[in-house]
Amino acid sequence: MTTLAESASTTGHALEMRAITKIYRVADDEVVALDHVDLTVASDEIVALVGPSGSGKTTLCSIAGGLLSPTNGSVAVAGQEISGYSGRQLTEFRRASVGFVFQTVNLIPFLTARENLLVVDEIGPRLGRVARDRADQLLEELGLTDRASNLPAQLSGGQKQRVAIGRALMNDPSLVLFDEPTSALDSSLGDQVVRLIRDEMKARGTAAIIVTHDDRITHYADRTVNIEDGRIAE
Amino acid sequence: MFLALREMSRARVRFGLLICAVGLLVFLILTQQAIQGGLITGFVGALRQQSAPVLVYSVDGERTLQGSVIDPGLEAKIRGVGGVAEAGWVGQSTFTVRVDGGAESDAALIGYEHSGLGDPSRLSSGRRPVGPTEVVGSAADFTVGSRVRIVPSGPAGATSPVFTVVGLVKDAQIQVTPTLFVPWAGYEAAVKAANPDATTVLPSVIAARPTSGVSDTELVRRINAASPDADALTRSQAASDTPGVAQVQQSFQLIFLLYGLVVPLVTGLFFLIITFQKAAALTLLRAIGARSGALVRSLLVQVVLVVGGGIVIGIALFAPLTLIQLGAITIRFDPGAVLFWSVGLLVLGVASALVAARRVLAIDPLEATTGGGGL
Ligand SMILES: Nc1ncnc2c1ncn2[C@@H]1O[C@H](COP(=O)(O)OP(=O)(O)OP(=O)(O)O)[C@@H](O)[C@H]1O
Ligand SMILES: [Mg+2]
Repeated sequence: MTTLAESASTTGHALEMRAITKIYRVADDEVVALDHVDLTVASDEIVALVGPSGSGKTTLCSIAGGLLSPTNGSVAVAGQEISGYSGRQLTEFRRASVGFVFQTVNLIPFLTARENLLVVDEIGPRLGRVARDRADQLLEELGLTDRASNLPAQLSGGQKQRVAIGRALMNDPSLVLFDEPTSALDSSLGDQVVRLIRDEMKARGTAAIIVTHDDRITHYADRTVNIEDGRIAE
Repeated sequence: MFLALREMSRARVRFGLLICAVGLLVFLILTQQAIQGGLITGFVGALRQQSAPVLVYSVDGERTLQGSVIDPGLEAKIRGVGGVAEAGWVGQSTFTVRVDGGAESDAALIGYEHSGLGDPSRLSSGRRPVGPTEVVGSAADFTVGSRVRIVPSGPAGATSPVFTVVGLVKDAQIQVTPTLFVPWAGYEAAVKAANPDATTVLPSVIAARPTSGVSDTELVRRINAASPDADALTRSQAASDTPGVAQVQQSFQLIFLLYGLVVPLVTGLFFLIITFQKAAALTLLRAIGARSGALVRSLLVQVVLVVGGGIVIGIALFAPLTLIQLGAITIRFDPGAVLFWSVGLLVLGVASALVAARRVLAIDPLEATTGGGGL
């Protein structure tokens, strides 16, 4: 396997999706969630993905993040072609190369804020000291230093979301996928969180896709991609 | 390891209660195991401690020392069997006695003709008798130096033998009665004092030792073949075939079987429930790249810690109990039994968690995107 740095530099893209089709089969029914989607995200680009409910946003992120295999088409993340990966390879890919902030559950309830970041190190080859320093630095950047030893139940909605962002950045990913990171927050808090995301991404030069319903958020992105009925309409 | 331990430390009450429950069950198992051992030892300990490798009962004695009588004809047949190196009388009767002038109580006397054929194999303290008035007593009931007087029947003031306890042997009761091993002459005197009409005193069983090159079981086979009235048994058979012993063992085995089901059921259900409860967290972990094998390992670490902790608590509760005498029954700390149950329960506990492990393996990380991962 080529290293991420090498492959990213050869293509210059964080994400390349070509002719991605995803068909869900439920009983005898077929749902075309994505229909020949092409999407390229540059290595330090922030893309806002906007579209109505059921248009395929989460499906697109799942495929980009190696949680779901497309029915057709090819996906490369930082130059790493993942379409043919086995379940085990996808697991390792998710651990090493992507950051996720999911729509609902993002934190382990029995771990403190700091441990929720450190768990990323625990599930991989352990870095120990380096990982602890990184976690402390992220917590500081996210304004969570004095909440580091709180359990998720002892954090506000905005704080939880910031811990989730920290967790997504712990493995120094090539691509971070945010699925409606502000949906549970009021608009001013949402604004604040998206600004934080932007600052963190830009400081690291990391690419991100931010899924949102909220048009006000899109102006923090470098580019907005609209999706409707599984098709990209730029 | 990290996840397993963190979760346990954040849910101390829950895991603590489970560990205590397992500990209590382990305690009950070990105690019942020890009670079973103590009961059987009380019934047939003397048979195990006596030195003869083969005991020959009369068939109508139904494998009890008190019921068996060997008449001279049968004795001659037994002695004539090829492979008998040495044979001797062993008699057993229960007497009313006074120990050190105290109140009347019961004692079983086991009389033996030759040392090495019916006397204790090894003493726990004191020495062996040198004359017919010296005896070795069961350690739980006698002390060295005690004087045991047989209470005579017949006119008051009749004479009767007085025995001096010169040695002790552990776990050597018969029929849960204080037991004395006495040379044949002393035994004969005791029988005659208790029953003045007795003219000859017949042995209850014949103790036999095989010649070298003949095994105990082979000698048993030959003696049984030689006479339909002989019921020869090895030392351990004589103990385990005593009426009642097998029934006691069967009842306890049923109890152990129930425990063997309850412990894994409790741990298995517990881990299945908490696996369901934290399904969302496990789904999240799989989604961010945790291998399912690692999550199963973390589950098994918890199972081993819970069952292991329970075993430690169970042993800690059980150990002090073995220092006291429970009525007539001696509770012994048997390291073999403790090890057997510790390993057995760990294996059962891990096996019981396989249902939860299957559930972990079945988690679909994609469900993290929909907030699924619940039931
Ligand atoms: N696991 C699944 N099985 C069957 N159909 C699915 C599955 N997941 C999604 N779909 C369908 O695929 C389509 C796209 O769903 P997706 O979750 O990607 O939409 P979305 O844009 O994220 O919507 P929302 O904004 O409500 O989160 C929908 O019609 C949905 O019903
Ligand atoms: Mg969605």
